[in-house]
Amino acid sequence: MLFGKYVNKYYKKFFLFFLIGVVALIVVDVAQTFIPRFLGQIIDSNNELIVDSEKLGSIIGGIILVAGIMFVGRAVWRLSIFRASTGIAAGLRKEMFLHAEKLPPAYYHENKVGNIMNWFTSDIEEISDFFGWGTVMLVDAVFLSASVFISMIRLNPWMTLLTAIPIILIIIWGMLVDRFMSKLWEGRQKEYDKLYDFAQENFTGIRVIKAFVKQNKEIHAFAKVAKKNQEVNVSFARLSVFFDVIIELILIIQMGFLLGFGGWMVYSTIVGNPVVIFGQTISMTVGELMEFVGYVDLIVWPMIALGQIVSMRSRAKGSLRRISAFLDTKVDVFSPPNAVSLDGGAGEIEFKGFSFRFPGTNDYALKDITLKIKAGEHIGIVGKVGAGKTCLVNTLLRLYNVEKGQVFIDGHDIMDADIQSLRNHISYAPQDNFLFSAEVEENIAFAASKINHERVVEAAGFADVASNIEAFPKGYQTVSGERGVTLSGGQKQRISIARAEYKDAPIMILDDCVSAVDVKTEETILANIANTRKDKTTLLIASRVSSVMHMDKIIVLDDGKLSAYGSHNELMKTSPLYQRMVFLQELEKEMEGGSKRG
Amino acid sequence: MDEKNEALMGDHKMSLWQILRHSKPYVAKEKLAIFLSFLLILINVVINIVLPYFTSRFVGLLKDETVGEKTFAILMGVVIGYVVLAVANEGIRYIQSMILQKAGQRIVYGLRMEVFNHIESMSQNQFNEMATGSLVTRVANYTASVSDLFTSVLVNLISNLLTVIGVLIIMMVISIQLSLWLLLFALVAGITSFFFGKIVGKIFRNERRYISDLNTFLSENLSGMKITQIFNQEKRKEEEFDVKNNNIRKATYSVVIAFAFYRPFINFLYYGSVAVTFGVGLQLQLLAAEIVAFYLYLSRFFNPIQNIADQLNQIQRALTAAERLYCLLDVPPEVVDKPEAREIDHFEGKIEFRNVWFAYEEENWILKDVSFVVEPKQTVAFVGATGAGKTTILSLIVRNYEIQRGQILIDGIDITEIKIDSLRKAIGQMLQDVFLFSGSIRSNLTLHDDSFTDEEIKAATDYVNASTFISKLPNGLEEEVLERGENFSSGQRQLLSFARTILHKPQILILDEATANIDTETELLIQDSLERIKNIGTMLVVAHRLSTIQHADNIIVLQNGEVLEQGNHQELLRKKGHYYKLYELQYADQEVK
Repeated sequence: MLFGKYVNKYYKKFFLFFLIGVVALIVVDVAQTFIPRFLGQIIDSNNELIVDSEKLGSIIGGIILVAGIMFVGRAVWRLSIFRASTGIAAGLRKEMFLHAEKLPPAYYHENKVGNIMNWFTSDIEEISDFFGWGTVMLVDAVFLSASVFISMIRLNPWMTLLTAIPIILIIIWGMLVDRFMSKLWEGRQKEYDKLYDFAQENFTGIRVIKAFVKQNKEIHAFAKVAKKNQEVNVSFARLSVFFDVIIELILIIQMGFLLGFGGWMVYSTIVGNPVVIFGQTISMTVGELMEFVGYVDLIVWPMIALGQIVSMRSRAKGSLRRISAFLDTKVDVFSPPNAVSLDGGAGEIEFKGFSFRFPGTNDYALKDITLKIKAGEHIGIVGKVGAGKTCLVNTLLRLYNVEKGQVFIDGHDIMDADIQSLRNHISYAPQDNFLFSAEVEENIAFAASKINHERVVEAAGFADVASNIEAFPKGYQTVSGERGVTLSGGQKQRISIARAEYKDAPIMILDDCVSAVDVKTEETILANIANTRKDKTTLLIASRVSSVMHMDKIIVLDDGKLSAYGSHNELMKTSPLYQRMVFLQELEKEMEGGSKRG
Repeated sequence: MDEKNEALMGDHKMSLWQILRHSKPYVAKEKLAIFLSFLLILINVVINIVLPYFTSRFVGLLKDETVGEKTFAILMGVVIGYVVLAVANEGIRYIQSMILQKAGQRIVYGLRMEVFNHIESMSQNQFNEMATGSLVTRVANYTASVSDLFTSVLVNLISNLLTVIGVLIIMMVISIQLSLWLLLFALVAGITSFFFGKIVGKIFRNERRYISDLNTFLSENLSGMKITQIFNQEKRKEEEFDVKNNNIRKATYSVVIAFAFYRPFINFLYYGSVAVTFGVGLQLQLLAAEIVAFYLYLSRFFNPIQNIADQLNQIQRALTAAERLYCLLDVPPEVVDKPEAREIDHFEGKIEFRNVWFAYEEENWILKDVSFVVEPKQTVAFVGATGAGKTTILSLIVRNYEIQRGQILIDGIDITEIKIDSLRKAIGQMLQDVFLFSGSIRSNLTLHDDSFTDEEIKAATDYVNASTFISKLPNGLEEEVLERGENFSSGQRQLLSFARTILHKPQILILDEATANIDTETELLIQDSLERIKNIGTMLVVAHRLSTIQHADNIIVLQNGEVLEQGNHQELLRKKGHYYKLYELQYADQEVK
């Protein structure tokens, strides 16, 4: 049994399924114990039974009845217990996804997607397995062995004592080996992953390997990895076969003792000189002995399972701990009660002494920024890598919490704003051009639940990507991503711009998203921005001054501080940093340009 | 083309005979191990069949025969015999398993090496045609499936078959009539298992598909969660998730349902046959010992039958894996050394294209009758619109692809007469998409060649202006490089790629300039190091930067795979031809302020 605040509710939810399943299991466990008894009766009284067909009929009928009960019981427990365990898996998964949707981007920066995926897949599976097979093993271990032991003691307590020793050995051995095996299994998995990753990376980077004639080096390196795989696989196989063989040996020796000791008792009974232990006369028939052997057969599997159950539970516990930690992660970005809606606002932005640091860090990424962007203005943002450009726009989107009273949109503190309406208020094309593996059209129209094809084409035109898309065999229905066409970085960037444009919000933010397109396309896009978004607030982050110098105003950031804010002409007069950026760009042209044009 | 593609993907059918013939060399190497373990398995099977006889004899001694003086001694003899034989059986089983496991792992190793070697020898063209993922699956998984086929599946199948036959014979010897009855049950169990295997195979495939569906969805949506949140699309994604989550739950539960009827049913059959054994056995007036024997043989009869059905399905899967693997191995590498190809250590660096025609796909010419000469130490820039064939020319020189017509010569020698390795060692390639491996900066520069000294590395990084940023990293050269170099900016990646090339001391250089916008300061560093790299030897550049173009000794202007004009910057401008137009359009405005 496994408890925790995220799983307890499932006991209640699936109580009936668990109950029915456990009852069915117990019924099966008890029914199973009858089979050896029938065998014993048949052996002991075969001579009478040949003539007494009524008695024979009752035994046969008994077997068929037991078989029928077991058939139904087994089907029932599988259907009910696994109904619960699959339900728990689906429920937990859903809960996790809902939580994942609420977590801020910072979380995804700090935690690799691969790790989160593991919680969604193998950890859920581990828990589900424990609720399914774990329950089955536990019930079997308790009730089947109880039911069998009772029958055994009733039959012959001394022989029961004799079987108890090897059974305990099996449990101990099972626990020991299971722990060791899972470690070895992990090691084996790790080596396999290494091999997989090695091949993956080699094939992806094959151009480099061929260019530098490193195939032989790579083949040697691969041989090492493959050899290691061979070795761990062999040692894993050795251990698992060894484990198996040892259990079998214990069982064989147990059987030897049973037959030897039992044979002696049966023989003594037959010759009329029954064995006496501690003053007790013990008589036994050969049928009873075989019945006893049948019981021992029944008890082996639950005992091996008992060894596994311990480590299974500890694995499930670890998984639950990881999942709980994930679900416990605080969601700190949320709309306040009585949040203000920004709908209908014109798109004015104001920073008042705005400072910001990323959660968990001491250094301020943005320091004391005060500026106002009037509705409808076009603003360029420039600055070196790490100056805080992306950070500034991300805070506008409430991807992080900011101090109250520092950032305002249309006169409302963004900390008071309803997040959904805030985000509806802003069209955004991020730096990393992430597209979903879906049709291009679906990607562009991502902001809306219904696709308006005309708007899609318009937006694609805005981003100067329409002709590229139309050139694909499937046009706007082209699927991007792994299963479809591989789009170039520039195409992805432009589709991402189109996606932002499709949303047509009062404020548009483009974060350095023309870096992979050529000069001419960049110019087209800049011209489209100037025309289409005339009188609509637009912020453009750029790595080159030339991209933003025609904008209404330019924000120059330096190391998190607002270094200058004004039009190109103003900044050329007042901002040394801006001047230097322009100068560097000029210098570059000098180097490239050579001849001047008249 | 299509056929070739199909062969690469392995979707074209191989006959069982072909697959077996293909497997012969791998299996033949292990024939001793396989033969030996087969022999041991035979012994196992025999012992397994004999063991119940001891128990039955034990019962017989006490029940069916009159107890005499020697009975007790015989009884104990039977018990000891049983124990000794059973222990021996386990010993043999251990030895046999290990022999097979070791052989199997050797086969996997051999196969993996062969497939990996084979893949390494394929040309760029062939690489482009296959998804990396499917190549990896072939190396990692299918090799193991093929080995399993011979060392586990087939061997177990044979052992199970022998057991079933052996047990059946023994039962027939005891009582033909009862055996026939039980055969009926076994047949029902076998047929049920076989069809169940087919059905559950389908259900499992479904389940796997839904699982991988959800995983793809999750990994994509977790990576792109920011976009979903910014666009307020959480609700829609939740609905998408629900569908997939439910699909999995249903599919998993279908597996449960299938097993919930199959397993108990087989069990029911088993107990049914036990009832028949008792009922019919007694009516046939069998001895107690004989009934016990039958009872014990029953489980040795039922289990193998279930296993056989399962193994038949496994064989099907393994054959598919084998087929895909062998299809890949059957594809001959496109670009290979001619037998008489020469090793060349030193190149002057004269490069000549003579009437070169080239197409990635038949008749779809990328280069049409291209001719030009590059003199040693010259820098040549290739200019033209996207798709003009610039990058293609660079990749032909290093023989990533084979040309269809014409000749490419270096120092007057046709490049097909030169060993590919010595050709590529001499030519330093700096490609547009800089690929960094996960590892350290050092391992990315040396590419795991430990013969480079720290001084050499330092010299190379200094040469290309990379040492400044490297020295600022907390771990310097040992700084970790994440998958695909994600923790470095594109400018830094470019510098690392330059350093990597310089370190390997090329005699000829080819460079595909990246167009990506890099912040101005890094850009200047790159410009500067390019200037220096030019001095190393002949250099061919697909140029985007004006500086590269203007300072080139020769500019070759390409359009639709043809050389339109060539000459230096001034000459071409004076001509007022295509270059002049291109220059006006693309570069002139870079100068306007």
